[in-house]
Amino acid sequence: MQSCHFAILPYCNSVFILDSLLIGSLRFVLDKVVQAAEAEMQDDSALRDQLLEAQMRLELGEITEEEFAETERDILAAIREIKRPQQGAISMSPSDKITGVDIESFESEQET
Amino acid sequence: MFFGGKGGVGKTTCASAFALATSAARQRDSTSARVLVVSTDPAHSLGDALNVRLSASPRQIRSRLDAVELDAPRAFARWLREHRRALGDILEHGTWLDRADVESLLDLSLPGVDELVGLMEIARLSREGSYDVIVVDTAPTGHTLRLLAAPETVGVVAGVLDALQQEHRLIRDRLARVTRGPEAADRLIERLATEAGETAARLRDRRQTSFRWVTLPERLSIAESLDAMRALERAGFRVDDIIVNRALPPSRPCPLCDRRRAEERRAFAVIRRRLSRRRRLRVIPAQLTEPRGLAALARIGRGVVGTKLASTEDTGETEEKPSKGLASVSSVSSVVASSSPTVSPESLPAIRGASLIFFGGKGGVGKTTVAAAIALRMARAVPDRRVLLLSTDPAHSLSDVLNVPVRDEPATVRHGPKNLLIREIDAPRALAARRKDLETALNEIASTLAVGPGSGTDLAAELMNLAPPGIDELFGIVSVVDARADYHAILVDTAPTGHALRLLEMPGAAREWVQALLRVLLKYRDLARPGQLARELVALAKSVRELQALLRDATHTRFIAVTRAAEVPRLETERLLKRLRRLQLSTSAIVVNALTENPGACVRCRTTAAAERQSLAALRRTLRRSNRAARQCAIIQTPLAAPPPTGVVALQHWAGQWK
Repeated sequence: MQSCHFAILPYCNSVFILDSLLIGSLRFVLDKVVQAAEAEMQDDSALRDQLLEAQMRLELGEITEEEFAETERDILAAIREIKRPQQGAISMSPSDKITGVDIESFESEQET
Repeated sequence: MFFGGKGGVGKTTCASAFALATSAARQRDSTSARVLVVSTDPAHSLGDALNVRLSASPRQIRSRLDAVELDAPRAFARWLREHRRALGDILEHGTWLDRADVESLLDLSLPGVDELVGLMEIARLSREGSYDVIVVDTAPTGHTLRLLAAPETVGVVAGVLDALQQEHRLIRDRLARVTRGPEAADRLIERLATEAGETAARLRDRRQTSFRWVTLPERLSIAESLDAMRALERAGFRVDDIIVNRALPPSRPCPLCDRRRAEERRAFAVIRRRLSRRRRLRVIPAQLTEPRGLAALARIGRGVVGTKLASTEDTGETEEKPSKGLASVSSVSSVVASSSPTVSPESLPAIRGASLIFFGGKGGVGKTTVAAAIALRMARAVPDRRVLLLSTDPAHSLSDVLNVPVRDEPATVRHGPKNLLIREIDAPRALAARRKDLETALNEIASTLAVGPGSGTDLAAELMNLAPPGIDELFGIVSVVDARADYHAILVDTAPTGHALRLLEMPGAAREWVQALLRVLLKYRDLARPGQLARELVALAKSVRELQALLRDATHTRFIAVTRAAEVPRLETERLLKRLRRLQLSTSAIVVNALTENPGACVRCRTTAAAERQSLAALRRTLRRSNRAARQCAIIQTPLAAPPPTGVVALQHWAGQWK
């Protein structure tokens, strides 16, 4: 959640605030609603941006393969973390539990 | 005065012979004409032909004749030093980049630098040396076409720079209300545009520029000349003279020479019908020994300059014999059966087990023929392995060697093994096909970095209508990367030496460019989120990195140098091997192609064979003196065949006679 907030910050400054000053409070409220909706969806995309950034740094030689692998593992875990409650909200069935167990065991395997 | 032609046809010989003759002829008229002969091929042979050491500054060869071998990267570096500030200003004003970003971009190497600066350098040398005639010895066909198109590319670059500068100009004029004259940046743009326009016009002005096309009386060379003539005329250049080099003069009967003469008669028929109509035709007879040095070249020079059509009558009148079609003519080779043990090229350690083989060498030595023969043998030997034979030379010869049409899509060869696919890369077409992707990427770069609205994106699109220099090498590498997953072995038939080296240097240069762009995208990620472009660049950087690793992995990648047993090709081959070592590439074999073995009683064949033996011995001595890797390099000898083997059957048969 924290990281996503930072990723949207520049847009808040340049686009949203400027618009709201110009067009007025109605637009401001609407923007806030859109922003909130987007923020939820972009949870995942902000993480994907981080992953892309790590890939870029790897190709530039700024980080090593090991550092990249570590970052990638963390980000993928975070993405799974976000995906899980969303899936849970759509449908609850016994099979979901099995998937959850699978992911958990996979993660614990990687961490050891 | 430009001399063009396929590799190895004798462009350098003819150009220097012409330069010698011109400077001599003018002297007799007591007009003080000065001649400069310039080589623009990145793999120079001019010094080898004149038998003098040449450099990037003109050297006097004799009175009124200077010679120079262009060093394009150095010339570009000099130009950049002169204009670095102005160029940096434009980029800094027109984009979000800061000075440090701009400087790092300016330090990158340009893959097409040879063609971009070639004409500019010639113009500079011509101004500084006040020469009356400039004779240009060009690179082999494909890259000469790029050289001649370079002024248009420079014109578009000037347009892009102008668009970047526009915003700054507006601000300067309106806000600062400063009414100084144009800045250095403005002057640079103006100068680039003017020079590009003038050069393009001068090249097409027939009073100032003329083209002489050199060919051999031989199928492959004529086929390439026909293609080149069409391309040149489409671009608005006119070739006035056709020079047919190395025509065999009449002599006593000899099975090999007679067969070659019969071939030449057919070749001359084609030349007269399709090449030399409405053009002057000059014929230079084959010399008994390799023409090196001033005296030998001056002898030839009289044939290149004079108005008489030397020896055309001998070869010309018996043309138009009913031809049975070249494919059905059985080839006579210089090998007497079982004179010494033959080798199977596909089972040699130099070739076996390789997944990527590059064939390189001087123009006209037979790279394509050798590569095609080996590809056929490899595919036949292991039918369950997919083999791709890929040509990256913009002037392709694969279709002419295999006697089948070859296109940009991999296809099988009729009568050939089904697991062999062949492809000739058409870089301008590949560029056009990827146009949409590239335009999207360029727009993304422009919208990320350009200050002004839509700066230069239209012009960037215009750039894609041209074939910018370096494009062949870039797509050559991209195609190898793409094909790696689908084939067990890829055989790459490269352009002649200079541009083959550029191809092999391309992964390094491409990676630098990709990294520079990634660095910029990363730096400005708060301004614009790295999107599709960044993802593609990351993917490209990764595959280029893998390719670099593969190129240096001697278990998978081999380089095979093809050469002839003659002094000029040998000297070029030795330089090639040195450059490859510097690139950390291992040369696993040298194919000494088209040897005249068992010459019989014919004086010409005997002289040739003796010279070949000497040259071969010299090559072996050089290898022995080199490091351990070079000493392990195998030497494969192939026999001269008349006519040169073309088509699946002839190639396979020929490859069975190698030693």
